[in-house]
Amino acid sequence: MQFRESARIALSALRANKLRSFLTLLGTIVGVTGVITLISLIQGANKYVSEKLVSQGANVFWVDKFGLILDNDKFIEALKRKDLDLADAEAVAGSARLAAGVRAKKDRQADVRFGSERVRRVPIQGMWGDYVAVDRIDLQEGRHLTSSDIARRRAVCVLGFEVWENLFKGQNALGREVRIGPNTFDVVGVAEKKGSFLGQSQDNFVIIPLGASDKIWGRRGSVEIGVLAKDATTFELAQDEARAILRARRHVAPGKDDDFGITTSEMFMDLYRNLTGAIFIVFVGVAGISLVVGGIVIMNIMMVSVTERTREIGIRKALGAKKSDILMQFLVESATLSLTGGAIGVVLGSSLALLVAAVSPMPAEVSILAIFLGLFMSTSIGLIFGIYPAMRAARLDPIEALRRE
Amino acid sequence: MADALISFTDLTKVYDVGGELVHALAGVSLDIAEGEYIAFMGPSGSGKSTLMNMLGCLDSPTGGSYRLKGREIARLSDDDLAAIRNKEIGFVFQTFNLLARSDALHNVELPLIYAGIPPKERKARAEEALRQVGLVDRMRHKPNELSGGQRQRVAIARALVNQPSIILADEPTGNLDTKTGNEILASFEAINERGKTVVVVTHEEDVAAHAKRVVRLRDGVIESDVRQAGRRVEPLALTSGS
Repeated sequence: MQFRESARIALSALRANKLRSFLTLLGTIVGVTGVITLISLIQGANKYVSEKLVSQGANVFWVDKFGLILDNDKFIEALKRKDLDLADAEAVAGSARLAAGVRAKKDRQADVRFGSERVRRVPIQGMWGDYVAVDRIDLQEGRHLTSSDIARRRAVCVLGFEVWENLFKGQNALGREVRIGPNTFDVVGVAEKKGSFLGQSQDNFVIIPLGASDKIWGRRGSVEIGVLAKDATTFELAQDEARAILRARRHVAPGKDDDFGITTSEMFMDLYRNLTGAIFIVFVGVAGISLVVGGIVIMNIMMVSVTERTREIGIRKALGAKKSDILMQFLVESATLSLTGGAIGVVLGSSLALLVAAVSPMPAEVSILAIFLGLFMSTSIGLIFGIYPAMRAARLDPIEALRRE
Repeated sequence: MADALISFTDLTKVYDVGGELVHALAGVSLDIAEGEYIAFMGPSGSGKSTLMNMLGCLDSPTGGSYRLKGREIARLSDDDLAAIRNKEIGFVFQTFNLLARSDALHNVELPLIYAGIPPKERKARAEEALRQVGLVDRMRHKPNELSGGQRQRVAIARALVNQPSIILADEPTGNLDTKTGNEILASFEAINERGKTVVVVTHEEDVAAHAKRVVRLRDGVIESDVRQAGRRVEPLALTSGS
């Protein structure tokens, strides 16, 4: 029998029992809605994070005392490491031929004031080297710190957009003096707005020469060395080069682990992917349970349907329907039933994801893949759980079936 | 008879009912030629239903031989039997057995669907069959929008639509009043006159009286096999609406 005939019968059976069909499909709808919502949100977040990370650190790697440590014991071990200092950064800058730019940074924190305005606990970034290239900071006005500012440890600063906005309320800041802790700094530049990343402002900072930072807070503490590789093809080699330079300088014996850590945005991305992957698996598991329950409900209702329509099956068999025809009819019916549920789930899930994206900072991206996955899963559920009822229908004896009222 | 349409030879059917063997058919031999109008009669338990199921290829015999158009079908698989039912047998049931959710046209199309006829031809042939029973203007009506007589005529159109060798009617007038019943019998007469073999299973003498041959069964064997003139129904009744 043609597929179209089966689908036609299936749809008319669905229409004949609207409420029952809807209740039957609830499990499938909930399951698919969950899967689609989750995939959309995770994909949206993935895209957002990767775009941000790439814009932040394509071909850039960072070397610091710890690297990316997720293990508490290893962290405690790493605390014993020797600090990275300016000399290390200078060595990398001096010897690394695959580096297009090197900078060292030390983060401190202080209140920043201008007149009566005050911004509390602003990250103060003590910078050395080519921070403009490595950190990609664009200015909306003024100039960056020059190498002579840095060499001479001048008391000049570049304000992050948010700090400027809060202190100067949109007024010109160039040439004005701000107070960082007890010290006075001349404002030479204001950075462009970068926006926020995962809810954290990227415009809340003040950049001063590293030497000026050390004058205030002392030389203790480790620097973070940022390196911009010349291009993507030598990115790995540039890391190896920097590693070799630092190991030599810091007298790390061959065969021993690095006493510093190198991180790249790709590593953050992997970490993030693992995290969302775990969330994803858990949620898909939960959604999977509701799909299985939905499948069982579909099986149950198909059994009822077969029983109700025993006589119809008898008639069809008397008129020449083969086992495969009846099997096909009921399989198509359960698949159509669950596909309908899946389609409703896809619509609900997509809407829910887009709604979440609209009212919260979470991004969402509804992908074709997710939609196909939802439809595929629901149809499979219908087929798998429809097999048993359909086989019962196909095996009915036509004489018995015709006798049934 | 070498050219018999249907040939039963020593046909038996034994049911196992709770350990007890019931001989529903205890050796039936019978030939039916093409173009006959034959009635099977007998009280309940006589084996006439079993014989009808056998004849309609709904059931397989325990023993003996059933040749339809020279082909032995006693040992065929369920699916082969389904194909034969589709091609050779047109069923007319006492309770009409139309699909309630489908309109008349679709009901008549069913055998053609299972025969794999493409939709366009299917629809044309189903319409033609409905025209023959005078219901082409009701083809979009569902069974519950049709009278009993109309429903049975839809069933007859369905039985005829795939050009079967045999029209097999099981108490076709059992659920109809006398007048409507007569119209249905007149239809069978007309079908038979066009050369089609008609087999009616009934317990009503009035119905059997229209057949040209009456076979009576008792206790699973043929009691009598009589050829007769066959009473005529007035031709007018065929086209009158009801």
